[in-house]
Amino acid sequence: MTKQDILSLLKAKVGSGFIGSIEPIPDQLWVEVRPEAVIQAVEILHRQTSARYLVSVGSDERDIKKRFAVYHLFTFDKDHFFVTLDVTADPHTPKVPSITNVIAGANWSEREIRDLLGIQFPGHPDPRRLVLADDWPAEVYPLRKEFDYSRKPESHPEQAYQFKDNPPGTTVVAMGPYFPVFEEATYFRLYVEGEKVVDVDYRGFYAHRGIEKLGDQTLTYNQIPFMAERICGICGFVHNVSFCKLVEHAADIKVPRRADYIRTIMLELERIHSHALWLGVAGHIIGFDTVLMQTWRMREPIMWLCEKITGNRKTYGMNLIGGVRRDIPKALVPEIRTKISNMEKEWLAVLDAVKDDTTLRMRLEKVGILNKEGCHEWAAVGPVARAADLDMDARKDHPYCAYDAVEFKVITADSNDVWGRTVVRILETLESFKIVNQSLDALMELPEGDIITEIRQDIPAGRIAISAVEAPRGEDVHFLLTGGNNRPVRWRVRCPTYPNLPTIPDMVRGEQVADVPIIVGSIDPCFSCTERMEVVDVNSGNIRIYGQEELSRWTAR
Amino acid sequence: MIISKLKEALICFKNLRVTFPYPLKRNFEALPVEGFRGKLTIDVNKCIGCAGCANVCPSRLIVVTDRQAVRKLDFYLERCTYCGRCADVCPEKAITMTQEFETATNDVHNDMHISAEVYMGTCQRCGRCFETQTIIDRMMTVGFRN
Repeated sequence: MTKQDILSLLKAKVGSGFIGSIEPIPDQLWVEVRPEAVIQAVEILHRQTSARYLVSVGSDERDIKKRFAVYHLFTFDKDHFFVTLDVTADPHTPKVPSITNVIAGANWSEREIRDLLGIQFPGHPDPRRLVLADDWPAEVYPLRKEFDYSRKPESHPEQAYQFKDNPPGTTVVAMGPYFPVFEEATYFRLYVEGEKVVDVDYRGFYAHRGIEKLGDQTLTYNQIPFMAERICGICGFVHNVSFCKLVEHAADIKVPRRADYIRTIMLELERIHSHALWLGVAGHIIGFDTVLMQTWRMREPIMWLCEKITGNRKTYGMNLIGGVRRDIPKALVPEIRTKISNMEKEWLAVLDAVKDDTTLRMRLEKVGILNKEGCHEWAAVGPVARAADLDMDARKDHPYCAYDAVEFKVITADSNDVWGRTVVRILETLESFKIVNQSLDALMELPEGDIITEIRQDIPAGRIAISAVEAPRGEDVHFLLTGGNNRPVRWRVRCPTYPNLPTIPDMVRGEQVADVPIIVGSIDPCFSCTERMEVVDVNSGNIRIYGQEELSRWTAR
Repeated sequence: MIISKLKEALICFKNLRVTFPYPLKRNFEALPVEGFRGKLTIDVNKCIGCAGCANVCPSRLIVVTDRQAVRKLDFYLERCTYCGRCADVCPEKAITMTQEFETATNDVHNDMHISAEVYMGTCQRCGRCFETQTIIDRMMTVGFRN
């Protein structure tokens, strides 16, 4: 489908609810609809076209346009463009009809917007608190512009989070907030009958750090990449590239080709060591520690390599708007090749050893099923979707950096289970080795030193951009609305775990309790990514985890 | 089944033990490489007090205060993210990133705090800090008049 088809379809079906459309950048279509027509428009996109829902973004634009805005983002993967539905909400009593009944995946986005900006979504099936801490006062919205980033509202410890009621005859098993296999704080409340899981409730967002707020209020465009990198400890470079791509799109900055290749190499090195890490962790969760030891040993030379290229083993600090900070000298290329080929050999040996391991397959096969329809409904991304035979990969669908010039396959599997996700990840790593080698070939032919475009003008205000970058865990989407003062008005990060995590209830329903950790592990959950955005953190009313004072001393100087 | 277990065992035996009882024994393969960004140092003699570092620092840990003719730069390194932007933009290369990475300490406020004082020429009208003496001297040598 072309953009014209989408427009005429929407115009015909929505009628008077359609206000207008623009194309801010070539790969985007921006459609403004009236609030009362939004459900209809979303239904058309979701059910009648090949659109895939990404995320909803709320934005406080009372200063510039006298309104609150809600943007529903969609992507047309095979046609390589994004569609955004722009809905205006009243500045005094903001209200937009909920689309969660049409797309289940919009559940979290809408609750997050309600929590942070106070835009109400009438008709939402599960309007509980999502992002804010339990003792955060009602009607204080931290992402509104008048809320200062260092403000500390009064605590209301009498408020408590309402979990779902037990289904009759079930027992509650708590997994979390601190649970050995989850690595980070998260809380799954399982309702079980004997060994069988009947239902699940989730409470997370224990690890907020106010990152988007800082991006809006204190940091400048060239400081945000370093902040973006710290959203996640593993896929930091992905967030970093996503943000730089956004600003480069919005301000129309051309990045030198050499910088593109260097970014591609770093992204792939990151994918390699992330998948190695995941395979180890997955082995550890199911009690197969040999895999943990061996993959982490193999991973270490790659980390040292990254340190040699960038100066740090993680949080590389490589990107700035317009290019990268360090070149990969030609003298280093042979060493990278040796390290990569060593790793490839060892990776193949591991693959060869585990692929016929019956104990492993008994634990992983036919566990945690999520099929194609489920993925579409929840907007799942990455290896979870690819294991359900959905061919989606931002590297192919929305080519960025140098991915238009390298050859690789998108790995899919059709088993819908944890084993499928494992296989997808292992084989994907082999493709990454290929991409690194091709990029190194290209790097040898390009002149050294041309790695950054100097920006001579201010980044213009009021520009819009969306970028999708394929992280090891799935597709990472960033949204940007530029503003004055050298900083964005709204910068929204949707990491891959954000759409994948809500699929857990569907995956674990009917499974054994013992399988829950590996099912959760199979989406490669990254709770830090998911929980980017708040200032205070308190666990369900009684135990204080994080002091605001400590946080503000670290962030507010 | 057995074959795959044997293959797994083979991988393990090939590589044996790779970890070290740090810090008693160190892995010399894993020492910082050239270009590694460790704890920063500042050479006060080179510094011209331009405060460019304070402007670019993503974690805003460099605090600049002027008292009469003295400009004081405070580096609160417990917040440092080791990005090295300050060293990049420093026009005089006064800031360098060292190879020092073992910065764990019990007294983070003193051990991770660097303070540098630079004597500045002051503006004769308003009394604010203006430029360091070295820079003013250098301007004269290239032909600016007093």
